[in-house]
Amino acid sequence: MFLHTLSRSTRAVTATAALAAATLALSACGGGGGGGSTGGGDGSITIFNGATGTITENFNPFSTTALQPTLGVIFEPLYYYNLAADVDPEPLLATDFSWNDDGTQLTITTRDDVTWSDGEPFTAEDVAFTFNLIQQTPALNTGGIAATAEATDDTTAVLTFPETSFMQEPQVLGNQAIVPEHIWKDVADPTTEVNSDPVGTGAFAVKSFSAQSYVLESNPDYWGGEPKLKQVRYVSLDNADAASASLVAGDVDWMSAFLPGLEDIIKGNQDISYVNTPALTTVMVACANADLGCEGPQTDPAVRQAIYHALNRDQLNNLAGGGFAAPASPTMLLPDRDKKWIADPDQVSIPQAADTDTAAQILDDAGWTAGSDGIRSKDGQRLSLTIQTVTGWSDYISLNDAMTQQLADVGIELKPSQVSWNEWSAAQTGGTFQLSLDSIGLGASSNPYFVYNKFYATDNTVPVGESASAGNASRFSDPTVDAALETARSTSDEAVQQEAYAQIQSVITEQFPYIPIYTNSMLTEFNTSRATGWPTAEDTYAMPASWKSWDNGQVLKTITPVG
Amino acid sequence: MRYFLQKLGFYAVALWAALTINFVIPRLMPGDPVDIMLSKLATKGPVSPATREAVEALLGADSSASWWQQYVDYLHALVTGDLGTSVAYFPAGVGEIIGQTLPWTVGLIGLSTVLSFVIGVGLGTFAGWKRGSWLDNLIPFTTMLQSVPYFWLALLLLFLFGSVWSVFPLNGGYDVWTYAGPELSWGFVGSVIQHGALPALTIVISSIGGWMLGMRNMMVSTLSEDYIVTAEAKGLRPARIRMAYAARNAVLPSVSGFAISLGFVVAGSIVTEAVFSYPGVGSALLMAVNSNDYALMQGVFLVITLSVLGANLIVDLLYGLIDPRTRART
Repeated sequence: MFLHTLSRSTRAVTATAALAAATLALSACGGGGGGGSTGGGDGSITIFNGATGTITENFNPFSTTALQPTLGVIFEPLYYYNLAADVDPEPLLATDFSWNDDGTQLTITTRDDVTWSDGEPFTAEDVAFTFNLIQQTPALNTGGIAATAEATDDTTAVLTFPETSFMQEPQVLGNQAIVPEHIWKDVADPTTEVNSDPVGTGAFAVKSFSAQSYVLESNPDYWGGEPKLKQVRYVSLDNADAASASLVAGDVDWMSAFLPGLEDIIKGNQDISYVNTPALTTVMVACANADLGCEGPQTDPAVRQAIYHALNRDQLNNLAGGGFAAPASPTMLLPDRDKKWIADPDQVSIPQAADTDTAAQILDDAGWTAGSDGIRSKDGQRLSLTIQTVTGWSDYISLNDAMTQQLADVGIELKPSQVSWNEWSAAQTGGTFQLSLDSIGLGASSNPYFVYNKFYATDNTVPVGESASAGNASRFSDPTVDAALETARSTSDEAVQQEAYAQIQSVITEQFPYIPIYTNSMLTEFNTSRATGWPTAEDTYAMPASWKSWDNGQVLKTITPVG
Repeated sequence: MRYFLQKLGFYAVALWAALTINFVIPRLMPGDPVDIMLSKLATKGPVSPATREAVEALLGADSSASWWQQYVDYLHALVTGDLGTSVAYFPAGVGEIIGQTLPWTVGLIGLSTVLSFVIGVGLGTFAGWKRGSWLDNLIPFTTMLQSVPYFWLALLLLFLFGSVWSVFPLNGGYDVWTYAGPELSWGFVGSVIQHGALPALTIVISSIGGWMLGMRNMMVSTLSEDYIVTAEAKGLRPARIRMAYAARNAVLPSVSGFAISLGFVVAGSIVTEAVFSYPGVGSALLMAVNSNDYALMQGVFLVITLSVLGANLIVDLLYGLIDPRTRART
């Protein structure tokens, strides 16, 4: 998402999309340039993961600004959670785990044949050390992990939580890199440590670093066997145009960005392929809760329902999504991956055509009557809504324009506004907006708890004017949802959880504090002449996006260099 | 002496005003760094309420201190040479980022500004000397190039010379595929020149017109002065009249213009660096603005302020050398 954001925002600075497309099409016809790339057959690939400008060295796995391959490629978690598919977590540094009955104690069995890249053996002591360090250092605890840990023998670590914590499982197992105790116990200040010579258990280790690029090389002693890929280079490019030109020239082998005219590039260059793994739902966030200070017609649930029904999503996908977007689910889960969690089969995906009759009926029933200019009003309030998006996010801007026309058909006036990313973000977390375009999804695991808790829980919201950075920007609050979340949180029984989520789904598909539009495309482009074995639409063994931290590690140890 | 002190006093006040504005403006922008960092974190994974506390602890709680306190701290830190810690590039210091990026910008933009000044003024001198020659016809053409939006020209040249003909590399400051980092070797220097050539070319092309036009017109009006006629009557060599009598006087307005453009070398590099993915201060500033990185923004603005004031000071002094009339006024 970071890359997506960056590439979209910088697009505006540099160029018109038309020129970019022309650049791509023409250079593709020219046989792919050749650029300054060496390589081919030397077992190395080059990755653009969204890094722009100067790269600063930071391989500290606790740091929020660590270089992306720090997590998953150099350091590993206990388990790998694949958010691209409905599969069980894959064991990495752990081989087994179990909870006690009330969810306060997690016993982890660690792998016994792992060594750190400096040759020292990896043990359960390292696992215990890592979690204790986090617990003792609030500034490191970005995941909110409250466990204290103890290693009972070389391969067993026991984590003790102060309260029922089943839902901490993916955070603890899949989202925390384990660090070597023998090195980190001597680190003076782990919050500002840049860890320039990182010792990890991952399949790759740092070879060289500079402010413009850095190189990782394969770890010959990796517990899973040395990767076939010998060398990985990460480069920094300032914008999407530079990235796409580099892809076509063969300078970059792996990147993720929405490229205008992608089909033309593929046609002209047989070495380049792409995979589309939609995973984030594009939504209109509505400031929905008048009790917490939201103002405007969107605080009326009928208005949000009407918008939901009035959108022609096929048209939106063609006009704004480049045809790459997939249907979303009104339950805010992913139609393919999360089918088992969606209670009502009718709610697996949204009908793609507009249902203007239903929309008009809902508004009529709620007392919104059409005025002389075709726009409805109620008690003197015009049904006119402002929707904000970020300057330069061209697909969202087209989305707003198309929706303005579609909603006018049912008597809703939509007024798009474009603001800077900072302003957009500040308005959304502060609640000073009516509608806002954003994308949501990608929790700690595919369990719906993470999406529902973050975006719908009363605990995660605050009155307008305060910063709702915990996630619930809509200020949505509903006792049924809160109770169901409590139920889901206190059990590891999937059947009980399913029932709780069904209750949540019935509320949110009536209320629509977030109005789903579509599951946005996530396009990743590869150069297959340098390496093969990339994730495909059929085999999503990892999320293919080049900016996705843990998944990167899985991809890099799976792909095979050509030649 | 009084004149000198006056000048110095003016520069001191200007510096203080610039530093104060520098302090105020980033704080008037929407959003605060903690929220920005959280929003960026949220796009990568779940963010819990504890995350907010963690990030606040990480960045230090001084965002809640009073403005006055922050202002005093800010000035005190500047005096002691501490530019603060960057949020966007945490945990790197602002000084470190500027140290890494400034040489690239000064090298590329500085050199091409000097180059376009020298070439422009040189061509202008000859165009004014020989009015109506072919050089005169070059002027409308170069002015047209100057009026074309810079980023468009840069993209066009990048497209032609980078993508279509592959003469120049598409991006970066040097060949990152061959060199692991900056090093002292001819190959590396060559690579830097090769990567800097196209961005430099675009800057020269787009700014040469102004220098040329200004110099040419000043030459024309200087050539009608009596002392030129006197010099010709004395039978001096034309080359001497051209350089020592005409050009030396005609170049004065261009020199003050040059001071201003030298001062803006750092500020003016953003678009160039964005188009060519050049690793300079401009891209660091862009990143800082996007992340509400006050410390880095202030650091870059400080460099810009110092370079504008410094360049002006130098030209004030230089002026005394080339124009004896300013020296006489004490």
